[in-house]
Amino acid sequence: MKKILKRYDQPGKWEIVIPFDEQGMEQEWTGIVDARRPGEYNLTVIAEHSVAKTRGRVTVRAVCGEDSIVSLNGIIRIAKEAQETDDFLELRVLTLGPKSRATVEPELEIEANNVRASHAASVGRIDSEQLFYLQSRGLSKNDAQKQIIEGWLGV
Amino acid sequence: MDNYNLGFKGKTDQYQYIAPRGLSRNIVQEISKRKDEPAWMLDIRLAALEQFEKMPIPTWGADLSKIKWEEIHYYLKSVDRPYKTWDQVPDTVRRVFDEIGVPAAEREYLAGVGGQYDSEVIYHSLKTTLAKKGVIFLSMDEGLKQYPEIVKAHFGKVVPYGDNKLAALNTAVWSGGSFVYIPKGVKVDLPLQAYFRINAENAGQFERTLIVAEEGSSVHYVEGCSAPAYSSASLHAAVVEVVVEPSALVRYTTVQNWYKNVYNLVTKRAMVSTDARMEWVDCNLGSCVTMKYPSCILAGPRAHGEMLSIAVAGSGQQLDAGAKMIHLAPNTTSRIVSKSISQNGGRSSYRGQVKITPAAVGSRSKVICDALIMDEQSRSDTYPNNQVMTGDATLEHEAFVSRVGAEQLMYLMGRGLSDAEAQTMIIRGFLEPIVSELPLEYAVELNRLVKMQMEGSVG
Repeated sequence: MKKILKRYDQPGKWEIVIPFDEQGMEQEWTGIVDARRPGEYNLTVIAEHSVAKTRGRVTVRAVCGEDSIVSLNGIIRIAKEAQETDDFLELRVLTLGPKSRATVEPELEIEANNVRASHAASVGRIDSEQLFYLQSRGLSKNDAQKQIIEGWLGV
Repeated sequence: MDNYNLGFKGKTDQYQYIAPRGLSRNIVQEISKRKDEPAWMLDIRLAALEQFEKMPIPTWGADLSKIKWEEIHYYLKSVDRPYKTWDQVPDTVRRVFDEIGVPAAEREYLAGVGGQYDSEVIYHSLKTTLAKKGVIFLSMDEGLKQYPEIVKAHFGKVVPYGDNKLAALNTAVWSGGSFVYIPKGVKVDLPLQAYFRINAENAGQFERTLIVAEEGSSVHYVEGCSAPAYSSASLHAAVVEVVVEPSALVRYTTVQNWYKNVYNLVTKRAMVSTDARMEWVDCNLGSCVTMKYPSCILAGPRAHGEMLSIAVAGSGQQLDAGAKMIHLAPNTTSRIVSKSISQNGGRSSYRGQVKITPAAVGSRSKVICDALIMDEQSRSDTYPNNQVMTGDATLEHEAFVSRVGAEQLMYLMGRGLSDAEAQTMIIRGFLEPIVSELPLEYAVELNRLVKMQMEGSVG
């Protein structure tokens, strides 16, 4: 599967359209939004399936800092002709502070019947058990948090 | 609808009053006068009418441009008052309810029943044991007459008329609906049921329901609806307001089975206090267009909101349904489970919102929407909006759209089931988590309705 990785670590607004317009096309698209720097981060990803037999995996992982706003909008659109599409969209946000704000809107617009389309989205905090484990190994709270964030973003 | 068995029509020539088509200040005043209402209610109605005229028709959801607002009768009164026994109800009306099976159900398993026929409630009853405990279950009109201070305290507080165009319309011309009041600590074990029937052609039904559950009480309210098979459209725009006081529990179950000529545009909302729980169970099978997003405003700490919904969209139907959960207080929780089936060119959508506000620290929400698409002409959409405005909260959302799995079918057919039987079984399994929440009699009924709807597409 062809893989694309994009990284966003400055406030901004982006709209990405991933066209699936060739039969048999397969693509994995991953977006990393590192919103630790204060500001507004607004990312829209559209997987546009217009022909049959395409397969996609769209993943967005974000960390949302104390004074940041993250909006993630993902759309899987499957046209009537695009039978046998298989796509999965994932939007994940990790919030770091009580003032972090995140909006996730995973949408599906499906006009073909013989397809598999699904999405998952979540917004949540750092797992306190992971934090505790790392701290018990001698890391400071800050370092532990940093490790977890890096693992989360996959860098 | 090919398999609609509630399409019979009752006569309208003996109606007490039928308002002329269209909407005007005069009609609103006429309704209020005929109901002998207090002046404050007429003031609200007129203000709402003005608001209705000002607001544009919503364009963000289903197509409402084909509604002929000026063709509709906004008020139709069939009998002169609500009756307390079915024997008193005039034959023409009673026969319709007999056919639907309402009196039979009442004898067997209901604590109280209300029946509405076009604009007016024609029958109302409540078990005497409950009445003695102070439970009130009346038509909204009677409620306003007998308990004006309770109605005035809550009317339009959960759903103000400026909320949306259809809520404004309802407030201007409302008639009928239920008024339910459960006193502190009283638990109503058997469900209270209301049955809504549109009978006339081009009728508008605008029932208004208010449920107040005092501290520590619990109640289960069930509503059913159907309409005759006319070719021109009718309009159903209800407003339901639910007030759930601390530690109370309200469950509101709907089995919507309008004929496919009815526009079903409903605003339902609950205000949920500390430690209280609100559950919506919503089954949509009928209507040509449904737009309905029952909401919970989780206003007190640890309040819980729940939405379980089923939509089965067939030929010519667009069911745009969903839920809203607004978390305003700390440690509030909500859950939305939505299941939809699209077949024979039907279109079903999930449209929902979960909002966790900055004050709602420690809140959790989970949203699951699953959809089945049965054939090539049908369509399914999911439009969720999830906002988390505090870092200290958890939100999960998942959705899955597919057709009936070929492997599952193969397996069941390998065990000796026919194609149709296998499909029916898979669909039943798909809906099971919600059907199992319905009272037994409704679960049986719903399974039967789904099977009828699916006939043809399921072979």
